[in-house]
Amino acid sequence: VSKALVSLLTALGDDELVLGHRHSEWTGYAPHMEEDVAFSSIAQDEIGHAAAYDSVAAGVVGGSRDELAFGRDPGDYRNAIVCERPNGDWAYTLARHWLYDYADDVRLEALEESSHPELASLAHKIRREERYHLIHADTWVKRIVRGPVEGRTKLIDAVSEVYVETLGIFEPIEEEAAAVAEGLLPVPSAELLARFVERTAKALDELGLPTEAQRLSDETAEFEASSSGDLIAGDRAPVELPASTPSAAMGGRSGRHTDDFKELWDVMTLTYRSHPGASW
Amino acid sequence: MSVSVGTVEERVWDALADVLDPEIPAVSVVDMGMIREVSVEDGVASVVVLPTFTGCPAVPMIERDVAAAVRSVEGVSDVRVRTSFDPPWTDDRITEDGRRKLKEFGLAPPTGKGPVLITEIGLPAVARCPFCGSANTRAENPFGPTPCRALYYCQACRNPFEQFKPV
Repeated sequence: VSKALVSLLTALGDDELVLGHRHSEWTGYAPHMEEDVAFSSIAQDEIGHAAAYDSVAAGVVGGSRDELAFGRDPGDYRNAIVCERPNGDWAYTLARHWLYDYADDVRLEALEESSHPELASLAHKIRREERYHLIHADTWVKRIVRGPVEGRTKLIDAVSEVYVETLGIFEPIEEEAAAVAEGLLPVPSAELLARFVERTAKALDELGLPTEAQRLSDETAEFEASSSGDLIAGDRAPVELPASTPSAAMGGRSGRHTDDFKELWDVMTLTYRSHPGASW
Repeated sequence: MSVSVGTVEERVWDALADVLDPEIPAVSVVDMGMIREVSVEDGVASVVVLPTFTGCPAVPMIERDVAAAVRSVEGVSDVRVRTSFDPPWTDDRITEDGRRKLKEFGLAPPTGKGPVLITEIGLPAVARCPFCGSANTRAENPFGPTPCRALYYCQACRNPFEQFKPV
């Protein structure tokens, strides 16, 4: 049980930590002050959620949550690849923020029923806070969709670019079968993926945007071609993928990451590696 | 010389009533409803703290201050403080006293239950201005200087203010 629990907590915590780090890169650079504050605050929330997941994991494997967050080699992180991509432009940032928070809501909803009481109550608490993130993302997407055509076009392009990699959030975790059997993860990743596709298709449709879910079957090859080629070789075989999900989005859950992650990891862990165990 | 009154548990609660929230030093952890339970067995006090927000950076300070305050209580030889998210801290845990103190501090108490969509732009429900009491306020940003604060502007007295976020 503990191996499956740690696998689940690591995937959850690493997604929040790594995307939280990307969000924090907007501090001082966002297009206007309120967004500078908003992304800094969302980053603080996400990194705080990672700390909470890592605290539970540290209770199982020992060590401190900081050690878990910053003391691992790149290949030991289990975040989905979409979380490690650079912020790009404002459209990409918002498209990823929007899709990630839909995905996070789908899995938190399931985890509220986890057989692990501490994880279940944590998921419940985190979901209440994440509603603010969803509102923030929804607000921006609606505003841009109803605005001038230039912004609308950029947003559609960004959603198309990020959508397929977002599916990697639902790549089965290591020890998935045990996690599901024990009720730690009450809903299998494949089912969570189906819920995510359904809900985002509905959301896109309501916004009058093309439903990316329909693109998956006939344009998979194109997405693979545009987003592959920079994977760092992992030393483990990838776990079984849900059908219809392109492989370029996958691998994060078994420690395969892109060069983008190596660059992020260098920055994110620099202080910890320079002064392990320092406190201030 | 102080005279000990009540049970050890009651004295622990009294001590906790003096432990202030490090980020909002006008209210105590008891006013904020952050203390889930207190128990004392053979002189060992156990205190369960419910953080207001998961990522609140003040939690380690609160744990430290709670432990120090409880350790000084007569009849307590050791203290165990732990945090929990069960039940999740919700803003309805703030006491009436706590709401009054927040307002006096210049921080609007939370309204309603969690973020409520009032318009298509989707900001949290309107807060009442802590300075003039007007409800003619405008939500500026659901994210503020700490995870627990949102930014507002009072259109009546023309003051910016912050609200403790409903969660």
